[in-house]
Amino acid sequence: MAVVSPSETANKGRSDLIAYATLSLISIFCAVPFFWVLLASLDGNAQLFLHWPEQWTFANYVRVFTKEDGAKWLFNSLFVVASATLLVMVLSGLGGYALSRTRAWWKLPFLYAILLIRVLPPTALVVPLYKFLLTLNNAEAAVLRPIFGSYTRDIMRWTGFIDGYLGLILVLATMQLPLALWIMKTFFDGLPRDYEEAALMDGATLIQRIRRVLIPLALPGLAAAGLFAFMSAWGDFLLPLIFLSSPELQTLPLGLFRAFLRINEIDYGLLTALAFIYLLPAVVAFGFARRFLVQTFSGGVKG
Amino acid sequence: MARNSHEKRAERQWLLILLPSLVLLLAFVIYPALYSIYLSFTNEALTGAAALRPRFVGLRNYTRLFNDAKFWNSLFVTFVFVIGSAVIGQFVLGLISAVALRRPIRFRRVFSSIILLPNAAPEVVAGFMWISMLAGGDNATLSRIVSFFGITPADWLQVFPLSMIIVVNTWRGIATAMILLTAGLSTIPAEIYEAARMDGATPSQMFRRITLPLMMPTILLYMLISAVSTIAVFGLVYALTRGGPGGATEVVSIYIYNQSFTAFQLGYGAAVAVVALVISLILGIAYVRAMKVEV
Repeated sequence: MAVVSPSETANKGRSDLIAYATLSLISIFCAVPFFWVLLASLDGNAQLFLHWPEQWTFANYVRVFTKEDGAKWLFNSLFVVASATLLVMVLSGLGGYALSRTRAWWKLPFLYAILLIRVLPPTALVVPLYKFLLTLNNAEAAVLRPIFGSYTRDIMRWTGFIDGYLGLILVLATMQLPLALWIMKTFFDGLPRDYEEAALMDGATLIQRIRRVLIPLALPGLAAAGLFAFMSAWGDFLLPLIFLSSPELQTLPLGLFRAFLRINEIDYGLLTALAFIYLLPAVVAFGFARRFLVQTFSGGVKG
Repeated sequence: MARNSHEKRAERQWLLILLPSLVLLLAFVIYPALYSIYLSFTNEALTGAAALRPRFVGLRNYTRLFNDAKFWNSLFVTFVFVIGSAVIGQFVLGLISAVALRRPIRFRRVFSSIILLPNAAPEVVAGFMWISMLAGGDNATLSRIVSFFGITPADWLQVFPLSMIIVVNTWRGIATAMILLTAGLSTIPAEIYEAARMDGATPSQMFRRITLPLMMPTILLYMLISAVSTIAVFGLVYALTRGGPGGATEVVSIYIYNQSFTAFQLGYGAAVAVVALVISLILGIAYVRAMKVEV
């Protein structure tokens, strides 16, 4: 075993070299576009093309939060995406548990149906969604207006379906539900039933069993489902583009996009600082999700 | 008998717990999907007379679709986009990365982290990053890089629009391909390679005779997943080219958006959406069937 022929070591060394070379090339391809965002955001004289800053500065970041609407956009995005994520975690936690434990006939059809739902392109759904949300919105306004009068607008900002956060939160959450339900179902499948059965013996009700036994056990799964929901919802551009129009409701991707449209007066320093702030939570979440990502995909491969 | 009714009650309880998710999915996915089928048979519009009083127009939207060169163009562009970026670009680079990362070389974690990075970039940021790489003619980052190697710089997004969105989408999806294919590779037992090496097989022979055939189910699954997710891409293309120049990058999702929210033709846009839904659903059913075989 210890005997390795010279030609074999040479061969091994050469394939390692090929591996290093190809991985380096692919990594450069992957990394270079990020340098622009990072360098330009720290550059006093940022340009559209990548160049080494002559004067390093944090002024762009300061301006995002003081002179521009950056803080507002960031808050709006965090509020909407965090709400949607929380909703996904609660619903997929409950639903995934039910899907794991039930033996009803609807279990398999439901699981395959939500896989198919995940396949539908959101662009093909937004027009009817827009019409549907508009109907809900008008109905809500008709109910609220006689009661709250001129305050209706302020209330609708949070509870409205179009140009209000509730609609966006519900739709964002729904789009993330199928994957989250699958993750939680698979997760609960891997949890032994002993704990629940012991709690059942003690006469605990379903709610008690869920609160005292299952939620603590389910936290890693919920974290995974939450991370995936957060990442997708955070990156989503289409839904806020169509459902939000008021400037004060804009989320980060929209603010960023509109800032980029001001053709002759694009402030690249400001824009890239904003982009970097938008990028950061996604990259951090991705870093955490990495482990789950591999598991989920390999789980997908094995079925 | 008593046990049976107890079980029935327990089963109803499970359905009750699942109910909130079910309601959301029915309201915001199933209903809109069915509603878009209905819309596609009307002349519904966002503004104008049809917005107030939409009429049922039968198959008119579909016959119009059939004769609409821009619709066929969008299908063709989508097809090239999916084949170029998902079936070829992401797959080839993802497979190379997956195979290379199986070697016990140093910095594996660093390499894989960098390759995963583009997948974390939100669509809009990814779009801007690549505008910086491609736009600006001689000044563009890419122009500066390639002119170093003696290649004539160009206004990349204007001259090669479709190729460029393929490159960008490839960039964004290498990670998914790499992860899936790594998972697939890890299921191939090492003994097979050992035995082949004993028989004097070369690395390329082992790749063609062992790796590829055993990876076929994974590859098929990957192709379906990536095709479906590439058909759904909107923000990336919208941020980069918004379908232009002259429809060269007008993928189906952009065409639906333009028909519905730029031309305000909701009924016609819905007809295009139904075509996209049907194509995705066919691929999706194939995907579910492939999964079922594996279960």
